[in-house]
Amino acid sequence: MLKGHLDAIVLAALEAGPAHGYAIIETIKNRSTSTFDLPEGTVYPALHRLEQAGLLSSTWITPPGGRRRRVYSLTKAGSAALADRRKVWGRFSRAVDTLLGGRAWPA
Amino acid sequence: MAGVIDQYVASLRRELDFDPALARRLAGEVEDHLRDAAEADPAWPSADAERRAVERFGVAREIAAEFAADAVDRQARRTWVTLLVTVVVTFIAMRLRAMWLDDGAIPALAPLVDRYAFIAAIAVGAIGGFAFRRSPLAFTICLGGLLASIAAGMVRADLFVQGAPLPVLLAAAGEIALVGLLAFHVVGLSRRLKRTAALRGGGR
Repeated sequence: MLKGHLDAIVLAALEAGPAHGYAIIETIKNRSTSTFDLPEGTVYPALHRLEQAGLLSSTWITPPGGRRRRVYSLTKAGSAALADRRKVWGRFSRAVDTLLGGRAWPA
Repeated sequence: MAGVIDQYVASLRRELDFDPALARRLAGEVEDHLRDAAEADPAWPSADAERRAVERFGVAREIAAEFAADAVDRQARRTWVTLLVTVVVTFIAMRLRAMWLDDGAIPALAPLVDRYAFIAAIAVGAIGGFAFRRSPLAFTICLGGLLASIAAGMVRADLFVQGAPLPVLLAAAGEIALVGLLAFHVVGLSRRLKRTAALRGGGR
């Protein structure tokens, strides 16, 4: 189920600012309090897919005294796509909440 | 001797052999990721820290399969766009031939094949589009129809090549170039589908 939402999760992880693949995975783990502990490599096909779709852009940077890294950032289209997916998710989660809200359905 | 991370990156590059540019790009990125992960491990520096980083990253073949599936989607889109453009250009070329050429001196079958092979190609393309969105077979049948239409068009145009108007010849050249491009994309789609199936099924 998580896989179907991975693209939106990656977009959300980049909302705060540009980041490289390892940092994105760490953000997802931390924000989900390790609920989403997916194989780290699965984020790279998503990053590539989103970049091909024009929702992300990437560039190599070398921080002073650090290792060269490919850093991803949201494009304008990526920010708009994230806003859209949030709306869709909001509607979906409210509907599921209503259905599974813990109260027995009227017979 | 190569370390655990080096071996893993080499194996990922092998699995991504269907796209050498992607393999090169990803190798550097994944190596950086794995070194970051290993360095964050309490047992760093050690082979165990590298092994744990590799385990958390996932199986190279499964990651390559994800990339291969995305490559199939992209290739299918490219093939569809090329097919649509080819159909439009073939239709224009066919109409130009009907308007500009005198079919009196050519085999009676040629104009019929020109028209009906094209219609058959459109029909197969439409059915294939709905039923088998990524089927190389549907594309190949469609390609065959377009080729038959174009070949018949060549018969019509060839007999009048001395007097064939420039638009007819240009449209014919466009048809041939586009069908060649379409064939190239269909072969590419077929190869990518096979590679994805092999990566998912454990074959080569």
